[in-house]
Amino acid sequence: MNLKSFDFLGIKKYTLTASAILMGLIIACALIFGVLLNVQFSGGTIVTYTYTGTIDEAAVKEAAETALQKSVSVNTKKGVNNLDSFEIVLNEKEGISADAQGKLTDEITKTFADNDVKLLSNSTVDPIIGMEFFAKSLVAIALAAVLIVIYVAFRFKRISGWSSGVMALMALLHDAIVVFGVFVIFRIPLDFNFVAVILTILGYSINDTIIIYDRMRENQRLYSDLSRTVLVNRSIGETLSRTINTTLTTIAAIAVICVVAVVCHVESILSFAFPLLIGMISGTYSTIFVACPLWTIWQDHKAKRSPKKAFAKSAR
Amino acid sequence: MKRIGKPIFFIVAAFIFVFTTLAFTGLHTTYGDKTTTYVKGAGDIRWGIDIRGGVDVTFTPSEGIDATEEQMNAATETLKQRMVSLNITDYEVYTDVQKDRIIVRFPWKEGEESFDPEAAIAELGETALLTFRKGAETDEEGVPTGEVLFEGGHVNKAEALYGPVTDGGSNEYFVSLELDDEAAKIFADATGSMVGTSDTISIWMDNTMVSNATVNAAITDGKAIITSGGSFTREDVEGLANKINAGNLPFKLETETYSTITPTLGQGALAAMTLAGVIAFVLICVFMIVMYRVQGIIISIALLGQVGGMIAAISGFIPGINSFTMTIPGIAGIILAIGMGVDANVITAERIKEELRNGKSIDGAVNAGFERGFTAIFDGNITNVIVAVILMGAFGSSDNFFAQILSPVFGFFGFATEGSVFSFGYTLLVGVVLNFVFGVLATRLMTKSLSRFKWFRKPALYGGGLAK
Repeated sequence: MNLKSFDFLGIKKYTLTASAILMGLIIACALIFGVLLNVQFSGGTIVTYTYTGTIDEAAVKEAAETALQKSVSVNTKKGVNNLDSFEIVLNEKEGISADAQGKLTDEITKTFADNDVKLLSNSTVDPIIGMEFFAKSLVAIALAAVLIVIYVAFRFKRISGWSSGVMALMALLHDAIVVFGVFVIFRIPLDFNFVAVILTILGYSINDTIIIYDRMRENQRLYSDLSRTVLVNRSIGETLSRTINTTLTTIAAIAVICVVAVVCHVESILSFAFPLLIGMISGTYSTIFVACPLWTIWQDHKAKRSPKKAFAKSAR
Repeated sequence: MKRIGKPIFFIVAAFIFVFTTLAFTGLHTTYGDKTTTYVKGAGDIRWGIDIRGGVDVTFTPSEGIDATEEQMNAATETLKQRMVSLNITDYEVYTDVQKDRIIVRFPWKEGEESFDPEAAIAELGETALLTFRKGAETDEEGVPTGEVLFEGGHVNKAEALYGPVTDGGSNEYFVSLELDDEAAKIFADATGSMVGTSDTISIWMDNTMVSNATVNAAITDGKAIITSGGSFTREDVEGLANKINAGNLPFKLETETYSTITPTLGQGALAAMTLAGVIAFVLICVFMIVMYRVQGIIISIALLGQVGGMIAAISGFIPGINSFTMTIPGIAGIILAIGMGVDANVITAERIKEELRNGKSIDGAVNAGFERGFTAIFDGNITNVIVAVILMGAFGSSDNFFAQILSPVFGFFGFATEGSVFSFGYTLLVGVVLNFVFGVLATRLMTKSLSRFKWFRKPALYGGGLAK
């Protein structure tokens, strides 16, 4: 079978259904299991210490509550970045003063003098500042998406600009939800890295979509009598080796980063590179199996309603 | 289409190798102990605190205080002075006048084992309301009750000095104060009326008495000294002078938002990231060469230049572009940009293959490949410019160009600078520019030049005869 002449639109019923189910599952998961927000967004306090030997979580909790006079929970983590660590999380979403945090460190290092306890990191965020930053990130992402749609609408007038832009946006939304799903399902709290990953995928996925749109624009100019389905299938087919080669190359590169992060136990990079990897796969998929079929359906729909306005072989 | 000369390939390739090598190594000369840096290399990159560790604090005035713009600026100055006195020089400070916030970021001090970030933050935010008072009485809670003569704002300058304070006296550490005219007058009146009595003039830092002295003579020239009769150490007087100089804060700064990251956490990440980067780059080159043969070699050279350009843009290699603080999201921006660079090259190479299969000559295919591939590369990259510009506007400091344009949208949020996301925007924007320089221009020059050599005129060398 020659992949290049494959009828990509022919399976749109299945691909669109599969995507819709996936979206539904992710949203359901988010609703059922909840979304974890890093203190960077939610506000709150997490203090992490490294230690050697063995340590009793309950004892840490007691010492921390004595020092802070607040209720906390304690989690131990084994071998992250090759270090054993425990984190003390304030149960109330609030920040603590540097003074209080100093007291905490003193108390912990004193109580567990044999465990060589050292401060690894500390993050304390006022909930108002956290939410403000989160809101600002979302607005930035939304604004970027809107401007991209406008740009696409302007540049791809020939292939019915606005619907091209809006369908590209649907594909972006698809990818953003997939990335969000990775964070939800793997219980990674949303943080600055989440914003960075979403934006990276936005850029990567829109680029992918534009490559195919570009070919549709060119084919439309060269062969103005092509039917919509043939035009789309042909453009996907002609750019397919580019799609495969670029995707393989970039995904291989990100996969290397994931593997190195796992081997070196660098959690902070893995929690960033893994969603990126999934997002890239989704970005490639969504271009061919979401944006293009939706565009075709939209044009067919328009043609039915008012044949003159629709983009079709008779257009121009 | 203009023909590109045969030597161009070698010139471009040589330029890329030299440039990239320089970008990585920088150019230093060592004369004796002194190292002069002419060109900054990869070693000079300033890593953000998420990578090398450090402290990120947001100070706000204590609750209920609505500080004026002047007060916020004074507070910012105070913080800067205090940081210098704590020996922290590599800091970033941003002031949000509207939301009354001061964001301070400084890296872990180099080679510092026992650096105590909590103590540093506490010290930075300390109130330092300095008062000069009559008498040293306090109420039961230790709050001074003596009549306030004037506040610390009237001290023009405080200096830590060493020497005799009386004629023929022994050397000791003391603080000399220079008062402004208003305070000098008050001080002259007060001291004049107190000569010969046992009344004292005391100096208070909030509720802590730092000095209490009887008046030996009326002081009319606006100069006063604080002595301890020889018990001050050098640290004491330096600290005191700094506190007085910086001590005009009319309110306490609180820290409800801050994070500290120790270097241990970051360094592992950096080493792993470097290793991953090298492996990924080699892998990409191997892919390109396997798929596109000669064209793959050209692509690898161009990508090398792009990596070099990236390093140069963040290390401060290029004159006029300051070195840039590199964070983990910044690295994400580089990954995306390099990915886009790979894609630009793949698009062109595929197009050349396609044109060859359609029966075009080498020259025709190469020309058509670059020309027809370009619109897609252009549009794809411009959308990334949009993303980059918005990020730089939303998360940069409020005085940058992009932030000004976007202030109607983001002004509402206060500017809560988030350097780490800003650096994503920056590296992405630079990456897009480099895409056009290396991914499009350099590749085009090299390919066209090389395709004029007789040995390189076989379609198979471009992957042409391979694909079905």
